Amino acid sequence: MMTWRTTGRVAKVAMVGFAAMVLLYLVMPTFVIVPMSFSDKLYLSFPPTEWSFRWYEAMAERVDYPQALWNSIKIGLPVALLATTFGTLAALGVVRGRFFGARPMSALVIAPLMLPQIILAIGLYPVMAKLGMAGTYPGVVIGHTVICIPLVFITVAASLKGYHPAYEYAAMTLGAGWWRTFWYVTFPMIRVGVIVGAILSFTFSFDELIIALFLTSPETRTLPRLLWEDLRQYVTPIIAAATTLVLCLSFVLFGALAVAQKRLQRDRSP
Amino acid sequence: MAFDPSVNTKASGKAWSLARGYFVILSLPVLFLLLFFLWPLFTVVTRSFGVDEPLFAHFLTVFDRSSYIKVLGYTFQVAATVTVLCLLIAYPVAALIARLRGGWLQISFALILVPFWTSTVIRTYAWMVLFQRKGVINGFLLDLGLVDEPLRLMHNNIGVHIGMVHIMLPFMLLPLISAFRNIDPSFMRAAGVLGANPVRAFWHVYLPLSMPGVSAGVALVFITSLGFYITPALLGGAQNMMVAVLIEQQVSITVNWELASALATLLLLLTVALYILYDRVARRAGAGGVLE
Repeated sequence: MMTWRTTGRVAKVAMVGFAAMVLLYLVMPTFVIVPMSFSDKLYLSFPPTEWSFRWYEAMAERVDYPQALWNSIKIGLPVALLATTFGTLAALGVVRGRFFGARPMSALVIAPLMLPQIILAIGLYPVMAKLGMAGTYPGVVIGHTVICIPLVFITVAASLKGYHPAYEYAAMTLGAGWWRTFWYVTFPMIRVGVIVGAILSFTFSFDELIIALFLTSPETRTLPRLLWEDLRQYVTPIIAAATTLVLCLSFVLFGALAVAQKRLQRDRSP
Repeated sequence: MAFDPSVNTKASGKAWSLARGYFVILSLPVLFLLLFFLWPLFTVVTRSFGVDEPLFAHFLTVFDRSSYIKVLGYTFQVAATVTVLCLLIAYPVAALIARLRGGWLQISFALILVPFWTSTVIRTYAWMVLFQRKGVINGFLLDLGLVDEPLRLMHNNIGVHIGMVHIMLPFMLLPLISAFRNIDPSFMRAAGVLGANPVRAFWHVYLPLSMPGVSAGVALVFITSLGFYITPALLGGAQNMMVAVLIEQQVSITVNWELASALATLLLLLTVALYILYDRVARRAGAGGVLE
């Protein structure tokens, strides 16, 4: 009995140490980038010997970085809007509707998230070329929307399953039409799920590389594609500076999502 | 909302066709996906058959050339190794985190989610910074005098595995933590009271109860790893290539769309087959299928 207790204590200390190392491994790369971007040297050394803003200045002088950032936003916002609309409609149809074929249809809606993106990318390129949309904003917006629909679908379907449809039946019995039932009953109930889905969609589009590689042109290229092209040529701390800015943006979005999810939990437990 | 009798008759007519109404609602996203998801997939599959070539010509090319077979084999091998490494690392860590409460739990979750929220390109770049010949890790090891020459950490197996495990680890941790939190701790105490030592109690009680989380994590990590592009393209070597990188190269460098499509079709079939297999296994284990 005693031996088990000592072994248990040693095992527990070892496990805590191991877990701390694993968590450090998870966050280390992210936090190495930030000090790098303030380094004074061309070669990346850590910790930096002298601090400077020269890589931020160098980035500001390059016109392609602000343009790519702006492109990413111009693509991400319509993606969030379209994916949220389609994803919410799909979730409503699958969760609330009971009809033949709902299961294969929900499989179709989820599928884009589950397949490797390279398959969709090489399939979408000829389709977009045929429609005259290769390299344009609508082309890449549609490509990203396809993958973001399942993200919204999952979050909204979870919200819809969280309450009984009797509320909607009650509204309809009391004379509310489709739109009024949705706007006054359904939407307030699933609002947080919709918002979380929209944020996830924007974040996904903002990060996505492979579809952007195939469907954007040098004029419409996104920030991940520009970072990618830079990385393949030479590694300079300009990338670290750009990355730090993107990280700041991600953390703002992450904070927004955390707040939204907290509200979701509060709405669920009255 | 005020009761408005004027719309009453109109709405009651619709209430009887609720199912049809939801079908109409669903048709819009489904049409969009038919056009921009299924049509592209259909294009990939038809292209892989070529135009005038004999049936399966491009598939035969894939299976004929040992270099392509090697890529497929390497892809499988990396996906399997990454899955096993993720499981071995994540299992004890998730078991520990699942028992935390309050602040420590939130801190752990934040640390798991930080990399989850940083783009894969950026994280891979961070590993390049750490792994370079003149990079952080080599500088550290040289300063300490642990090595005489910079280690080769990039453009080989080590780099790909460390980078991919880093990206897939949260996908293994999250389902495991949620499975562990569902295990009632009194089961383990009961096993102890009934005379089982901790190893026996773990083997016969804890491990079987954690299997839904294990199967979900393993399926997610393995299937996602098969299609990995960014990390193997930047951290991998020319000798070891994963299939997504080969597909992209066949298009952008060799401009061989047919062969790229044949490889993509194989990857597609493999992914779908694995999902169906996982769905069957998970259903039989009562853990709910892919769609749940």
